[in-house]
Amino acid sequence: MHELAIAQSIVEAVEAKAVECNAARVKSVRLKVGEASGIVGDSLAFSFEMLTSMAPVLTGAHLLIDSVPHRALCRRCDSEFAVVNYVALCPTCQEWSSEVVSGTELQIMELEIERNDNHA
Amino acid sequence: MPKVTLAQNILAVNEHVAQEIRQSLSARGIRALNIMSSPGAGKTTLLERTIERLRGRLGIGVIEGDVETSADAERIEAAGAETVQINTQGTCHLEAHMIRDALAQIDLAHVDLLVIENVGNLVCPAAWDLGEDLRVVVVSTTEGDDKPAKYPQMFAISQVMIVNKLDLLPYVNYDLQKVRRQALSINPNLHIFEVSCQTGEGLEAWCDWLGTFARGV
Repeated sequence: MHELAIAQSIVEAVEAKAVECNAARVKSVRLKVGEASGIVGDSLAFSFEMLTSMAPVLTGAHLLIDSVPHRALCRRCDSEFAVVNYVALCPTCQEWSSEVVSGTELQIMELEIERNDNHA
Repeated sequence: MPKVTLAQNILAVNEHVAQEIRQSLSARGIRALNIMSSPGAGKTTLLERTIERLRGRLGIGVIEGDVETSADAERIEAAGAETVQINTQGTCHLEAHMIRDALAQIDLAHVDLLVIENVGNLVCPAAWDLGEDLRVVVVSTTEGDDKPAKYPQMFAISQVMIVNKLDLLPYVNYDLQKVRRQALSINPNLHIFEVSCQTGEGLEAWCDWLGTFARGV
C-alpha cells in the first residue's frame, strides 16, 4: 500500500520539474521500476491517476513503466544470472556469493511535456 | 513534443534526509537501528527486554512508530529508555522526515544507540531509508514459517533476522530450519538470532552482539 506514497513522491518531483521547464501540461512520465523494488505497477498506476486528477498540470498524464529484471553477478564465476523470487543462487556454480546488478531501481527517467505557447 | 530527462530516484528527497540523519548521528558517535516486523511479532517486547539488559552498558534512545496510540512508548519508557512516539495516522511506514522531527525532541547527550521501531508491516517499511546503520527484521513462531519467501524484500534489505517466541515452538507447526533456509537463500549474509522474550532464551547472544555493534567495534 506504499504505492500511494511513492506516487505522491513522483507527482511532487514531476510538478517541480514542470515548473522549471515552463510546461503547460505533462503528457507522460516514464519510470524505471526494478522487479525487486517492491512496487506493484498496477497499484502505482492507480495511485498516480488518482493524484494527477487533482494536479492541473498533470491531469491525464500517462504513466509509462519500464520494468527492470532482477539480476546478479556471481563473484566466483563472474557470470550474470536472473534472480528468481529474490533467491540469488548462481545457477552455474551453485554459489551464494553474488552481487545484485539490477532490479532495485525506482527512478523517474523522463517527462513528455507541452510548453506554454507564449513562452515557446 | 519535447521530452525532459530527469533520471532521478523517486525517493531522492527521503534518501537525502536519511543521509543527513546518518551523518548527524555518526558525528555524535550514535549508531541507529531500524527494527521491522509484521504486527504482533514482538518488536516492543523484544525492545523492552533488550533495554533492560543493556541499560547499564549503553545509553539507548527510542523512536516508536505506530499508526495510533502512545501505548508502546509508555512501555519502552518504563523499561528505561528515552522515547519519542510518532503516530503516522494511517501511513503504513515511517519516512526519514518523521525521524528528523522526532530527533529534535530527544535529548541525545547520553545516547549511544538509537532504536527506531517501525510500523508493524513487512512490506512498506523496506522502501524507506531512515538513516539507520542496521536493519533488523523480527519474525515469530506464531506467524507461519513462510514469511521470508512471502516478503523477500524485507529479508533482502535487513542485516539481522530475529526469530521470536521460541518458547511456543512445541505448540505450533513452525519449521525453524525452513525459515533459516529461506531467509539465507534470499540474504546469505543475514545474522540470525533465535529468542524467547518470555523465557529469556537467546537474548544474551543478541544483546551481546548489539552491544558490540553499538560501540562500533
